[in-house]
Amino acid sequence: MSWSFPCLRLQRQLYALRLRGQSADRQAAFTELQRCWQQMQFRTGDCWRDVEFLVVDTETSSLDAGDGELLSAGWVVVRGGRIILSTAEHWLVKPRNGVGHSATIHSLRDCELSEGIEEQELMSHFLTAASGRVLVFHHAPLDLAFLNRISRRLCGAPLLMPVVDTLQVERRSLARRHQPVVNNMLRLASCCARYNLPPARAHNALTDALATAELLLAQVSYKGKNVRLKALI
Amino acid sequence: MTESPIPAPELNPELRSIREFLGECIPFDQLSPAELDRVAALMEIGYHRQGHVFQPHDDGGGLRIMRSGAAELRADNGRLMDRFGEGVSFNLLGLSQEEPDISATLIEDSLLYLLPEEEYQKIRQQHRDFDRFFRSQRSRRVRRAARHEPSPNEMMRRVRDLMTKTLLTVSPEDSIQATARIMTEGRVSSVMVMAGDQLQGIVTDRDLRSRAVAEGLDLTLPVEQIMTREPEVIEADATLFDATLFMTQKGYHHIPVLDQGMVKGIITASDLMLARQDDPVYLVQHIGRQNSVAELKDIVSQMPNLLVQWVKSGIKSSQVGHVLTAISDAVTVRLIELAEDELGEPPVPYCWLGFGSQGRGEQLLGADQDNGLLIDDAVSEQDAKWFETLAHRVSDGLNTCGYVYCPGKVMATTDEWRQSLGGWKATVDRWTRTPTADAVMRVSIFFDLRAVYGDASLCQKLQQHMLKQAGSNTIFLAALAENVLDTPPPLGIFRRFVVEHNGEHRDELNLKKRAVIPIVDIVRIHALANGVTAVNTHDRLAALAKLKALSINDSRNLQDALEVIMQTRVEGQVQHLLTGRKPSNYLNPDELPKLVRKQLRDAFGIVVDAQQAVKLRYRPGL
Repeated sequence: MSWSFPCLRLQRQLYALRLRGQSADRQAAFTELQRCWQQMQFRTGDCWRDVEFLVVDTETSSLDAGDGELLSAGWVVVRGGRIILSTAEHWLVKPRNGVGHSATIHSLRDCELSEGIEEQELMSHFLTAASGRVLVFHHAPLDLAFLNRISRRLCGAPLLMPVVDTLQVERRSLARRHQPVVNNMLRLASCCARYNLPPARAHNALTDALATAELLLAQVSYKGKNVRLKALI
Repeated sequence: MTESPIPAPELNPELRSIREFLGECIPFDQLSPAELDRVAALMEIGYHRQGHVFQPHDDGGGLRIMRSGAAELRADNGRLMDRFGEGVSFNLLGLSQEEPDISATLIEDSLLYLLPEEEYQKIRQQHRDFDRFFRSQRSRRVRRAARHEPSPNEMMRRVRDLMTKTLLTVSPEDSIQATARIMTEGRVSSVMVMAGDQLQGIVTDRDLRSRAVAEGLDLTLPVEQIMTREPEVIEADATLFDATLFMTQKGYHHIPVLDQGMVKGIITASDLMLARQDDPVYLVQHIGRQNSVAELKDIVSQMPNLLVQWVKSGIKSSQVGHVLTAISDAVTVRLIELAEDELGEPPVPYCWLGFGSQGRGEQLLGADQDNGLLIDDAVSEQDAKWFETLAHRVSDGLNTCGYVYCPGKVMATTDEWRQSLGGWKATVDRWTRTPTADAVMRVSIFFDLRAVYGDASLCQKLQQHMLKQAGSNTIFLAALAENVLDTPPPLGIFRRFVVEHNGEHRDELNLKKRAVIPIVDIVRIHALANGVTAVNTHDRLAALAKLKALSINDSRNLQDALEVIMQTRVEGQVQHLLTGRKPSNYLNPDELPKLVRKQLRDAFGIVVDAQQAVKLRYRPGL
């Protein structure tokens, strides 16, 4: 296991200690999470091309993880500096409550979601995909709040994985160029447009994950030749 | 926790936008949806900044597709080969076999899809169409465009557009005589017999004749006695083709038309005949029956409307050129006939010559007149006046009809372009012996000659002489080749494509001068050098391939390039007409659809290659 990310490592150890006396199901799930952590062989000093990224986006029934639910998740892998389309996955999650009003935002209706998978299954797919990779989100706190809540419930611990937030990368790069951040400048679509990236034709968790991945590539290419992972995190 | 599934081999359905994008890119549009899914799933996406250079062996080759941004291809010494943007794909490894020093430079920040070399080769093996496109990337792409035939034509129009909608009807109880009276007053040859809104039968002129009069029937009897009961009907949405077929097969001349179960009209054999009034054959015949310049002018003035109809109904550009030339020929011939009626019999045999686009059979709207007179050597001093008068009559008539005087004075009205056979031969000799710039210009018009009227054998003799003089004269051919190289295709225009969204001012493009004429010039020099008598560019190219003077491939590439350029030009003229402008040879490349721009760019690329070939063959070492 890598010696980078000392803070994450420490937290992981604490959660491992706390696991004693938990249910067998939860212990098994935690073991799976641990296996995922052990695959993370990269260091913050690595060149970004040598690191694999899992770029993720989720859709939720509320902006608050306290009362909302995760409805869908999409992700795609960036390997060797390129987005690998064959790795793209998109999952609908069976909601425990109805979608309610947010269906108007997400256009995911109850009947579609009832064909979705259980949270455990999603977690299993996600951990398989995330294994050995750095997570990437646009505006990470929101997606992470939902994913961590599921992880806590199932595995007894949050994800505790290194994360790149393209929104923060963009905010820092605008700040470095002394550009004031106004209105919607940091929204995914606005960021993409700044780099001459094609506008999205439709919106769902996967297309937004793909747009985030394209944004990541564009941001990195503007940072110079041999960008290191620590420049992004 | 559950086992993770085997990764799906096809594209995730939520990424249909990628598949849709690829489906719009040639040649991916050739793949079936399932194949497209599979190929899309194999793609990898990369982002590079302006100035990034791709070399053939980067990433082990592979096919790159521009998703956004722009790039240019450069060969040895930075020679620009192509510029392109979104939707264009290129395989540097393949191109490097022809151009070893090729590289691609991004001229904007770009997002590119990459299909790995191995997968790219696999698809080429599996799909003939896909492979054919890339085997010689540019030329093949143009080929597909040229071979694509839009759906024809006038006969595919709907019956509803042509049927007579004002219906004359009678009741079954109305008398035969009353029915005949109604038909006479309505000047129709058939009437429908209706009970309420139910069609009971149909009565035609022929029914009145054969079933009533010939039989000596009491004309006060109800018409239902002689009507054809429950006549066959046709749907309003049927095509004119269906209706014509129906009539000829069944021998009917009148068919009631149903729309949503109700009788809404009738279509007759003469309606279908009328529909053919815009048929070029009809038009050419019609021209031959006019007796004054004013009448001819009326017919020619309809041509813009007809052109719009023809193009909309799917006539291809080469056919449009052919048809428009046939019409200007017909007008010329009729003007000569009218002049001869007045001037009396010609004193000696002669031949009226058409040059340039008329000679080649490639005229479009707005063509000026390029003509000449070729007179038998027996012509005397006194006869000369007859021919001069004829030339003025015809030339003035053409000008009135819209074929304006040639600004370069290439007209039978000038002494230079109205000569005896012997005089013409001497002129040709002079031109080929001392190929001044002026002579070369005249030659390039003159060598595309065709007999429009009169003794065609005179024209043949002159052409034979010309080919003999020019074909073996390398100095003359070199002078002609220089003229060919004078006008490179407007590849520079793509600079504007690239920066168009930066709001830079955009010029229009003269397709005739910058694209058609270069091809015509290239083909003419090859035809002259190889003694080809054909003058139509497509015919010349076919003949050159047959003589193996050009490879079949080069010949077809040029034919396709010309077809694409002409198609764009014709459609541009139609667009001008529809927006109330005067048809011209100019168009704004930015107003063209993406695909057309791509095809044009490919076509120009072919012209550049062909010009290089001319340079190598006729101006070696220069």
